[in-house]
Amino acid sequence: MSWLKWFEFRGKSIFHLSYSFHRLTGLVLVLYLLMHLSYLTSLTFGREVYEAFIATTVTPTFLIFDILLVLVGVFHGVNGLRLVLHEFGLAYDARRPILYLSYIIAFILWLYASYKLYVFVMGV
Amino acid sequence: MVKEGKDVIFRIKRFDGEKSYWSDFVVPAQKGMTVLEGLFYIKATYDGSLSFRASCRMGICGSCAVKINDRPRLACETQILQLNSSKIKIEPLDNFKVLKDLVTEFEGFFAKHEAVKPYLIRKDESYAEPVELIQKPEELQVYYDFSFCIKCGACFSVCPAAATREDYLGPAAMAAAYRFNADSRDEGRYFRLATICSDGGVWRCHFAAECSEVCPKNIEPAKAIQKLRFQSAVYMINRAFKRW
Amino acid sequence: MERIQHDITIIGTGIAGMRAAIAAAEKSKDLSIALISKTYPIRCHSVCAEGGINVALRADDSFEAHAWDTVKGSDFLADQDAVEFFVREIPKEILRLDNWGCPWSRSIDGKIAQRILGGHAVNRTVFAADRTGFHIVHTLYERSLRYPNIQKYNEFFVTSLIVENGEIKGLTAINLKNGELTLFKTKVVILATGGAGRIYAFTSCSHIVTGDGMALAYRAGVPLTDMEFIQFHPTGLVPAGGILISEACRGEGGYLLNKNGEKFMKRYAPDLMELAPRDIVSRAIMREILEGRGFEGEFGDYVLLDLTHLGENKIKERLPLIREASIKFAGIDPVSEPIPVRPTVHYTMGGVYARFGGLTQTPVKGLFAAGEVACISIHGANRLGGNALAECLVFGKVAGERAAEYAGRRSMPLNLKAAYLEEEKRLSLFGEGDESAYKIKKELNAAMERHFGVFREEKNMREGIKKIKELKDRYSKVSIEDKSKAFNTDLTFAIEVGYMLDLAEVVAIGALKRKESRGAHYRLDYPKRDDSNWLKHTLAYYTKGGPRFDYLPVTITKWEPVERKY
Repeated sequence: MSWLKWFEFRGKSIFHLSYSFHRLTGLVLVLYLLMHLSYLTSLTFGREVYEAFIATTVTPTFLIFDILLVLVGVFHGVNGLRLVLHEFGLAYDARRPILYLSYIIAFILWLYASYKLYVFVMGV
Repeated sequence: MVKEGKDVIFRIKRFDGEKSYWSDFVVPAQKGMTVLEGLFYIKATYDGSLSFRASCRMGICGSCAVKINDRPRLACETQILQLNSSKIKIEPLDNFKVLKDLVTEFEGFFAKHEAVKPYLIRKDESYAEPVELIQKPEELQVYYDFSFCIKCGACFSVCPAAATREDYLGPAAMAAAYRFNADSRDEGRYFRLATICSDGGVWRCHFAAECSEVCPKNIEPAKAIQKLRFQSAVYMINRAFKRW
Repeated sequence: MERIQHDITIIGTGIAGMRAAIAAAEKSKDLSIALISKTYPIRCHSVCAEGGINVALRADDSFEAHAWDTVKGSDFLADQDAVEFFVREIPKEILRLDNWGCPWSRSIDGKIAQRILGGHAVNRTVFAADRTGFHIVHTLYERSLRYPNIQKYNEFFVTSLIVENGEIKGLTAINLKNGELTLFKTKVVILATGGAGRIYAFTSCSHIVTGDGMALAYRAGVPLTDMEFIQFHPTGLVPAGGILISEACRGEGGYLLNKNGEKFMKRYAPDLMELAPRDIVSRAIMREILEGRGFEGEFGDYVLLDLTHLGENKIKERLPLIREASIKFAGIDPVSEPIPVRPTVHYTMGGVYARFGGLTQTPVKGLFAAGEVACISIHGANRLGGNALAECLVFGKVAGERAAEYAGRRSMPLNLKAAYLEEEKRLSLFGEGDESAYKIKKELNAAMERHFGVFREEKNMREGIKKIKELKDRYSKVSIEDKSKAFNTDLTFAIEVGYMLDLAEVVAIGALKRKESRGAHYRLDYPKRDDSNWLKHTLAYYTKGGPRFDYLPVTITKWEPVERKY
């Protein structure tokens, strides 16, 4: 259970919190991937089965989960790019502004994606 | 110098070898009084069995790193009144085995440091008639900050990789490795990289960067490790080509 | 019973101890060397040293000049043959450290830089920013990792030396991790345990500087030399218990100011001003304070060290540690405000007699001493800034090599069980009284400050000696609350207080007996130096009723004593 230590929040800086969140979103994305793949295998049972699955989950009630999922994915992606940059030994001294910038970019991308999702699902 | 003071409570996590428990003590804090001075006060006035490490009391020996209000700090460099809290919680460092009260095991930490070969390696090792090595001030500046690690263990205690992997070398050891790799007088980079470029070495770091946040001497171990990553990557590629 | 055996055992892992270990390991790969420390090697007191090392490294300097400055600085109590040997060995040590990785500060052309420190006539001090001791300690520690025959015993607290028939056989130490008393059998012991600054209240010394090695050797029959010479470093940070403000501040151009804003050093040392030797500057500051020209404060009286005219850039580059310390421990930024300072106990010129037959050798066969714990004597009555680190390096190497030779000629001692059992019994009976060791230490510290400070006087010293004797009496009934085995700092603290009481007694009585003023020992009732009667070293031998005193002449080779004016 030592991996629970990834999620220690008390007294930690925003860098460590980003790390913890990256791990958390990573786990969520792995779980989502498994769900998504099993979802897609429904295709092998024919078009009607697949369409039935879509009808249950691409609905206004599931929208909130979809928006949260997008948040998870966008954070993991943008933060991941930040990590790639720094792990090449680059821009360390600018790490604080880059962190804030990546949060802002992730937030903007999330807002945009959520808007698009909303429009699609609500049929506006 | 005006005398201001107030009574604060030190809430200390104790350990007697078998069980841990908390002890509360009232410390009359004055302006200029450090947490370490508070600990000595408690030891002399209330409980002589309180055990903690301390030596220089000027932030250079690295003995007194403890968790103060959830954050690792040097007790000798922390002013009680500047914490702005009437309860000061003091615990031993995380990721170390507790021996007694605030004293933790440190042999493993030093062993990891030793494992990265933290010494200058040169081809010519005859010192009967040593010769001055030339090093420009700019070359010194490249690694100097990393040479000021006091081995206090604060970085190791907040590292999530060190928390989850026993064999992870840790920020302090790797900062030491980089300090020598970056020293213009050194000729042993490849010997060090053999240890660093490993499963328990540089690849376990994923830039939580908490080490740099808590380092009492601001030596930026996270920076050293990222630079070491780059060196390790180059090393691995070179090694692969040489194998061919 | 935990039994450990090594050819050479070194107690104390500061610069002298580690340098000795490296020297012995280089001499022979077959020697097994133990390095015992009551803490960890890189947590020794040597890391606190700031200013630098004096060395006649370049063409415009000479060994003669360095030696002369040292002898004059010692107020002619130093043994001149030892000093002449000493100054010639330093350049190689500096270059060896360079080859071992020490980050010496450099001049623009990449050569090792040198700056000026008090008491020297030229720029002669090499340095590593203002953390020279720290860098040397880490360099030596890291270098020592390369020798597989050096084994470190960290957090082992030595409680006694085993001496039989005038020869060292071993020692006993408490393994702090589990509280077990461990027996070390050995052919040779090197003492490198440092000084005893903690017998005073206001001191730059770490908490661990409690004179353990000096007291152990004293009790084992080795005489202590010149203990009454305690160096008061002029600038200790007043709100912080005496933390050192490096001499380098004055070397980079800082001024000392009294209450009237006057640069008072011009009345005491018109040529060298703030860079006069430490004892002269300390006395100047104390005299200003005693004559009412000092400031009064909550943490005691003080004068001001002014660096504001140096500018932020120079302070940031050359004196970063000082600036940090001043802000962290006193809330004062030297870039904008002057720093409150007063003399702080900094160094013990005296120590274990270490030139019996050869340099670093004590009268006990197989027992060597190097560094601050030893008195050879290089520093005589007053040490020049920058000579202590050099002493540790040079004599650490000498002791290591001598020990290696000696160990090659000796066989391992045999049965030490009786000595071990005796020590075990003594420790088990220790601490069954009712007196608090913490109170005794506090009173000892206060007594040393009041009676054996910068200015000394007969009646005051007699009172002090009475107080110390009373404290020793009370100490025989000391109590130790903590009965646990692992990491019992209550026990180690009480043992350290015992060491300090023994040493304080020697300092006190030695100071009373020396009826003259010389170097750091200044008497208001005998303010002049008296070469016809007192050009000699004090030796103190342990007896149950207190120290027995004897005297030894100073070795003079080149320089007859002259008036010490700057």
